[in-house]
Amino acid sequence: MNKKLQTHLRILLLIPLLVLQVSGVLAQQLGIKGKVTDETGVGLPGVAVVLKGTTTGTSTDANGDYSISVPASGGILVFSYISYQTQEVPVTNQTTLNVTLKTDTKALDEVVVIGYGTQRRADVTSSVATVKSDDFVKAPVVDAGQLLQGKVAGLTVVSSNGDPASGTAILLRGNTTLFGANSDPLVLIDGIPGNLKTVAPEDIASVDVLKDGSAAAIYGTRGTNGVIIITTKRASGDFDSSIEYSGSVSTQTIAKKLDMLTADDYRAQIAAGTRPSNMDLGGNTNWLDEITQTPISNVHNLTFRGGNRKTNYLANANYRALNGVFKKSDNKTFTGRVDINHNMLDDKLHLNLGFLNTHNKFTTTGDGFSFNGYTYRQSLIFNPTTPIRNAEGQYYEQPGNFNYENPLGRLFESDGENTSQNNRLSAVLTYNPIQSLTLKALGSYTRFNEERGYAETKNHISTVRDGRNGFASVGSSQNIDRLLELTSEYATTLGSHRVSILGGYTYQEMDTRNQWMQNWNFPTDMFGYSSIGLGTARALGITPIYSGRFKTNLISFIGRVSYSFKDKYLLLANLRHEAASTLAGTNKPWGTFPAISAGWRITNEPFMESQNLFDELKLRAGYGVTGSNPRDLFLGQATLSYGDSYYSNGQWIQTLGPARNPNPYLRWEEKHESNFGLDYSMLGGRISGTFDYYYRRISGLLYDFPVPSPPNLVGFTRANVGKMDNKGFEALVNLVPVQKADFNWTTTLLFSTNENKLVNFQNELYKTSSNYITAGGTGEPIQTFTHLINAGDNIGDFYGFKVIDVSESGEWIYEDKDGNAVPYDDFSHSFEDKKVLGNGIPKYHAGWNNNFRYKNFDLGITMRGSFGFQILNFQRMYYENPSIQAYNRLKSAYEPVFGKAVLSNDMPLEFNSYYVEDGDFWKVDNITLGYTFKNLNAKYLQSARIYVSSLNTFVITNYKGIDPEVSWLGLSPGIDNRDKYPTTRTFTVGVNISL
Amino acid sequence: MKTRSIYTSALAILLALSSTNCTQLEDESFTEILSSEFDPKASDVAALVGRAYTNMRFILLDWDGTWRAQEVSADQIVIPARPNGWVDGGVFRRLHEHKWTTDDPIVIQTWNRTFAGITNTNRLLYQIETGLVPLATEKEATIAELKVLRAYYYYLLCDMYGNVPIVTSFDLPEGFLPEQSTRKQVYEFIVKELKDNIPLLSTKNDISTYGRFNKWAGLTLLAKMYLNAQVYSGTPAWQECVNTCDEIINGGAGFILESNHKDVFRTSNEGSKEIIFGIPIDEKYTTNWNAFDFHLQTLAPESQATYNLKSTPWGGMAAIPQFVSSYDPDDIRLKTDWIQGQQYTAAGQPIIAGGTPLIYVNEIAGVDRSNMFDGFRLGKFEIKPESTNILNNDFPLLRYSDVLFMKAESLLRTGRADEAAAIVTQIRQRYFKSNPAKAVVTGAELMQGSTYDYGLRNHTTSTDEEGRDIMYGRMLDELGWEFSQEGRRRQDMIRFNVFTKKSWFSHTPNSEYRSLYPIPRVELQKNTKLVQNPGYPQG
Repeated sequence: MNKKLQTHLRILLLIPLLVLQVSGVLAQQLGIKGKVTDETGVGLPGVAVVLKGTTTGTSTDANGDYSISVPASGGILVFSYISYQTQEVPVTNQTTLNVTLKTDTKALDEVVVIGYGTQRRADVTSSVATVKSDDFVKAPVVDAGQLLQGKVAGLTVVSSNGDPASGTAILLRGNTTLFGANSDPLVLIDGIPGNLKTVAPEDIASVDVLKDGSAAAIYGTRGTNGVIIITTKRASGDFDSSIEYSGSVSTQTIAKKLDMLTADDYRAQIAAGTRPSNMDLGGNTNWLDEITQTPISNVHNLTFRGGNRKTNYLANANYRALNGVFKKSDNKTFTGRVDINHNMLDDKLHLNLGFLNTHNKFTTTGDGFSFNGYTYRQSLIFNPTTPIRNAEGQYYEQPGNFNYENPLGRLFESDGENTSQNNRLSAVLTYNPIQSLTLKALGSYTRFNEERGYAETKNHISTVRDGRNGFASVGSSQNIDRLLELTSEYATTLGSHRVSILGGYTYQEMDTRNQWMQNWNFPTDMFGYSSIGLGTARALGITPIYSGRFKTNLISFIGRVSYSFKDKYLLLANLRHEAASTLAGTNKPWGTFPAISAGWRITNEPFMESQNLFDELKLRAGYGVTGSNPRDLFLGQATLSYGDSYYSNGQWIQTLGPARNPNPYLRWEEKHESNFGLDYSMLGGRISGTFDYYYRRISGLLYDFPVPSPPNLVGFTRANVGKMDNKGFEALVNLVPVQKADFNWTTTLLFSTNENKLVNFQNELYKTSSNYITAGGTGEPIQTFTHLINAGDNIGDFYGFKVIDVSESGEWIYEDKDGNAVPYDDFSHSFEDKKVLGNGIPKYHAGWNNNFRYKNFDLGITMRGSFGFQILNFQRMYYENPSIQAYNRLKSAYEPVFGKAVLSNDMPLEFNSYYVEDGDFWKVDNITLGYTFKNLNAKYLQSARIYVSSLNTFVITNYKGIDPEVSWLGLSPGIDNRDKYPTTRTFTVGVNISL
Repeated sequence: MKTRSIYTSALAILLALSSTNCTQLEDESFTEILSSEFDPKASDVAALVGRAYTNMRFILLDWDGTWRAQEVSADQIVIPARPNGWVDGGVFRRLHEHKWTTDDPIVIQTWNRTFAGITNTNRLLYQIETGLVPLATEKEATIAELKVLRAYYYYLLCDMYGNVPIVTSFDLPEGFLPEQSTRKQVYEFIVKELKDNIPLLSTKNDISTYGRFNKWAGLTLLAKMYLNAQVYSGTPAWQECVNTCDEIINGGAGFILESNHKDVFRTSNEGSKEIIFGIPIDEKYTTNWNAFDFHLQTLAPESQATYNLKSTPWGGMAAIPQFVSSYDPDDIRLKTDWIQGQQYTAAGQPIIAGGTPLIYVNEIAGVDRSNMFDGFRLGKFEIKPESTNILNNDFPLLRYSDVLFMKAESLLRTGRADEAAAIVTQIRQRYFKSNPAKAVVTGAELMQGSTYDYGLRNHTTSTDEEGRDIMYGRMLDELGWEFSQEGRRRQDMIRFNVFTKKSWFSHTPNSEYRSLYPIPRVELQKNTKLVQNPGYPQG
C-alpha cells in the first residue's frame, strides 16, 4: 500500500471521533436515589444503573446505594448485575427508587445453536461451547478461528505462522484421520457451510462449537472434526437505527529472530582460519533486517441497523488491510454483508435475505504462495558479508551455490498478486402455519472466484541462473456451492412433557474448476504476468498447462426428537441418513448416523430445593456417530486416466490406463463418540462451568493400504484399514472472584487432555503383517521420515536416531537397537536403529483468561500453555551444523554439544534426538486495556471505548526455536519447519463507537 | 386454513423429494473415464497398449530405479555423501557397502514398478483376448509383443530378485495371493515365452517398431537370458547365446557399430543404427519427475554455467577413482564418457566457485564424505546445452555392440578365445583411432585377469586385492569400459563372480547372498506366501 492511501485510512479512522458533538444544552434534571438489594434484602454493590437508550449511568456503592440524575422528561432506568436478572424501572416522579434484583436464570435461557435449530442452554444435553463476541480475542485476527484461541477447552486453534494471508487451523479433541478424509471441522455461517474467513471476524456475534459426537451427528459425514457454528450479528425486532464502528491500527514485530552469524563473525572466523578468506565478499548485510518491515495494519468495521418489527436490516462493511513483518507480505479484504428480515401474513411468514460479498487481495512472492518461506530461508543462510547489489547494480547472486538465491532479488525481481471474490446469496423462508409448527426452507448459492498472476523479471535468479529469460504464471479457479435445506419442526408442551420433532432434507452440490499455465522467454519485463502469450517457451512445447473440474454432491435426510420431563429429565435423539458422491460407485454410498444424549438437571429435583450452594447442576451423557468422506473422487469404481506419454510409430501419444485400484468396499471413516459431562453453577453464578470426558473410537480409517500387485493393479489401495482412539478430559471453570462497585474481576480457567492412539492397522480384505506407518519428512537434503505411527502406540511419535553423547572430536555417539553406545563411524544408520525420540502432541493444554473492570477501565489478559510434548527444531537441525560453510549458520553451531565438543566438520546433517526439544510453554497471549467513556453528553454518540492490545505478548519456555506453539495437526505434529513464516507479536490501538 | 397449509407444505416437500434428482449422487467425471462407460475404438488401441510400455522407463530411470540398483552397487559409480547432502538416511552408502535393508527404496522400487508393468501387460492381454480392447488386425502379433514385453519385465525380476511369483492372468479372484517360483523356474518361463513369441514379432526395424519389441529386440533379450543362464538357472547356455546372437547379426535388420560410439548416446540418438531397443525419452513428453536426469544427479551446481542448464544440478554421483584408473590413457572413452578437469562456462571462461576453480578430480575421500568437486562425473550421455531437468536422449537399452559382446563372451567361455578377441578388437577400433595398435586384443589377453586395481581405497583404509585372479577378468574390463553408465554393471560382475568377492573404494564384500536383492519387507507382509531370499531376514 502506498503512503498516501495509508494517510487516507488514518484520517478515515479519525472521522468517527469527530462525531463527538457534545451537546451544550442540558435539559431539566431530576435526582433519583435508592438501594438495590438481592432477594434476601442484602445490598448489592456494583450494580450498573443506566438510563435506557443513553450513556447516562452510575453504579451502586458497597452498601447497594446509588444516586443518578435523569431528565425530568422521564425514561427507564436499567439495573443490571452479573448473575441477576436485569430490571427495567420507569422513572415517574418518585425520587427514591428501591429495587430488588432476582437471581438470574438467563444464562440458562440463553439460546444455544445446535444445528438446524436452537436449544435453551438449560436443555442442552451434549458438549456445546459458546463464545460471545465480548469474549473474543481482541486484535486484528486473521480469521474467525483466532477469535476462539484459548477460549474453548479441547479446541486447539493453531495460528502457527505470522503470514497475514494465512489462516488458523483448528483441531478439536485430537487427530481423527490417517489421511484421505478432511481434518477440518465443519464451519457453518448462519447455517450455510463456509470457512473461517467467510465473514469478517468483527461481524460475528457468537460462535458455538459442537464438540462431541452426539451434538455433531446431525451433520453426519461432515461432523467428525466437530462443528463450528458462526452466528453473525443480526437485525431483529424493534429498535432505533444504530451505527456501530470499530477500528484499529496495529503493528507487529517478529516474535524472535534466529541468532545467525554476522559479517563480523564471518571475518573473525576467517581471521581464525576456520573459514576460507574468499568468503568475505566485502559487505555487511543483515539479510533478515533487509526483508523485514515495520508493518501497519488497519481494520475498520461499520455496522448499520435499522427498520421496525416488520422489516429490519443490518448492513456491515469491513475492511482489513493487514501487513506482515516481511516486505511484500500483506492481505487486504473487503467484506460487505446485508441481512434483511421481513415478516408477513400476520407474522406467520418470515423471510430472511442475506447478501455477502468478500473481495480479497494479497501480494504473492512465489508462484502460488503468499509470502514464499523459501525467501525467509535465504535471508537466514545468505552470507552476511555479501553486498546487497553487485558492481552493476543488480542483486548480488552466486548462481553456483546450490539452493542459494538473494532474498531481496527474490522479493523485488518478482511481481505477483492473488485476488478473489466470494459471493453468497441466501434466503430463508420460515412459515408458522400454527404456533407449534415451523416449516423452513433455506437456499444458498455461493460462488468463489480467484485470479492469480505471478511473474519474475530477467534480473530474477530464474534468469540469472536458469536462463528462463523472464517467467510468468497465471491461474484461476472457481468454486460454486449450492445448498437447499427443507426442515419442519413441531414443538408442543403437554403438562410436564415438552416435545419437539424435527425432520428435514438437505442437498448440497459443489462444482470446482481451476486452470493455470506458465510461460517464459519473454521479450520484455514490462507486462509481467499480464500478457502471458508473449513468451516463446510455449512454442517449444515445454511449458506446463492445466485445467480440471470436479463436481460432488451430498444428500441427506435428518430427524431429531427432543423431550424433557418436568425440566428435569432431558433427552435428545438425532438421525442423519446421508450419501456422498465421493462414494458413488461403492457398495454403500448411503450411511446412517445416529446419536442420543440425555441430561438430568439435579438442581430441579425436590431434594435439592433446600440447598443454596448450587444454582444449577446438570449431568449429561451422549453417544453419537459421525463420519468423514474420502476426499478424492471415484475411488470406488474403475476409471481410466490419460498420462504417461508413449512413442508410437514416430509420434508421442498419451496412454490410457487404470487410474488406481478401485475399491467398491470403500466407506466413510466412522467415529463413535461417548461424552459424559457436568454443567454447574454455584454461589449465585460466582462459580460456574463444565466438565467433560470423551472417548472416541474412529473405525474404518482411510489409508493407501499396501496390497500385493499382481493381482492388484498397483501396490496400494485406498481402503478402510484401521482404528484410532482419542480420549480426554476437559474442564472449564468461570469465577467471579471480585465483584465490587468500582472493581470487577472475572476469570476463566480451561484445562484439557488428549490421548491419541492408533489401535490397529488392518482390514478383513487386505491382510498385512505390517503394523506401522511412517509420516512426515525432513525435506532436502536430510531426506527421511520424521514420525512413526505404530499400532497400539500414540500418534505423533518422533522416530529417528538417538544421540547419547558426543566424542572428543565432535562426532555423534549413537545408541543402537540393542542399547549400546556406538561411535558415529560404526553406526549403521538402519531403520532398526531408530527409536521413539518424543511425541509432538501435547498431553495437556491449559488456559487462564481474566477480565478486570475498574471504573471506566477494562483489562483483559488471556494466557494459555501446552505441556508434555516435544518439538523437532528444524532450524537447529539445518542451521546448527558447522560442517556446511556455503550457507550461514546459527551462532550456536560453534558451541560445544553437551558442553563437550563442537560438532565435527565431518558430521553431515542428520535428523537425531539432539534436535528434538521439550516444547512445554506458557504464553501470555492477548492483553487488552480499554477505557470506556461514560456520561457522554453527546447528541448522537451512545458509547465510545478506546483500547490498546497486544497479541502473542510473551512466552515462558525452554524451547530454543522461535515459537513453541507449532502445528499439532495431522500425522507429523510438532514440527517447527525451517521455512515457516515466523510468528509475530502484535500491538494494536483501537476504538469502538456506537451511534 | 391452518391444516390445509400444513398439507400443502407437506405435499410440496414430498413432491420435491420424490423427484429422482434429489437422491441422485453426482457421478460425472471431468478428468477420468469411468470404465463402465468406456467403449474403446480402434483409435484407442495405441493409447491402451502403450501404457504397458511406459513402465519400462520408470523401472530403469526413476529415483532408486534399476539403473541405480545395477550401477551404484557396483565398482564403477558411487554416490558419496556431499557437502550439499546425498546422505538420505544412508541409503546410498548402504548400496555401495552392500548393506541395504529390506526396507530400502532401492530394494522396493524395482519390485513395485516392474510388477506394475507385468500387471499392465496381463491386463491388456486379458482385454485383448476377451475382446474388451478391439483389435481387428494384428491381434496375434500384439499379443506376442505384449508377452515378450512381459518376459522383459520378468527378466528384470529374475536378475534382481530371482525367486519371484509368476503371474500371467488378470482376472484373478479377490484376495488372490500369487505363488512364488524359483529363479530357475522364472528363467525357464522367460525363455519359453520368448521362444514361443519371437517368431510372431515384426521383423521390421524402423520407426514403426522403434521403442517396441520387434524380433531383433526379442532375440537380444533371449541372448541375454542365455548369457546369464548359469547364474539364473545353474546351467550355462553359451552356445544358445552364440546362436541367438548370430541370428541377429545375420538377420539383415541393418544394425551396425557406430564409428563414433557417442552417436549412440547423443541427444538425438533415435536414428542410431546401433540401437536395437531404445527407450524413447523427450523433455516435452516424458515429464515425470526424475524421468532422465543423470546430468542433475551427477554435476555440481556450478556446472550449470557450462551447459546453461535450466535447472541447477545437485549432483553427487561420480566415477569410482579405481575404475577411472583402469582405462588405457589412449582410450577415448576415458575422455568422452567422463566429465573431468577444469570446467568452463558456455562462453569459455574457467568456472571459479567461491574462489575455488571447478576442477573435477579423480579422487573421492570416501562414500561417507567427499568434497564438492571430488570424482569424475557421468558424461556418456550428451548433455545438451540449455537442457531442462530432463535429458532428451533416448536410452539405448539394447544395442548391437551388446550382441557382439555377448557372442564374444560366450565364445571365450567355450574355448574360442581368438574368435572372441577378433570381435572385441573390432569394437575397440573406434576407441583407439589415434593409436590403432592398442585396439587389438588377443585371445590370450582375454583369458587373463582384470586390470582393475581392486582393494579398499578411502580416507581411512587402503588395501590391495588386485584383479588378476578373476577368470576372464579382461573380458569383464572390456564390458566395463564399453557399457559404463548403462545400468548393467552389477549383472556383469555377478557373471564374473566379482560382485560379492572384491573390495573397491569404500566397499568390502558383505556375503555371497548380496548377489540377489531381498524381497522387500513390505511385499513379504502383503503376500504371506513369499519366502525371503537366502541370507536376508524373513520379517
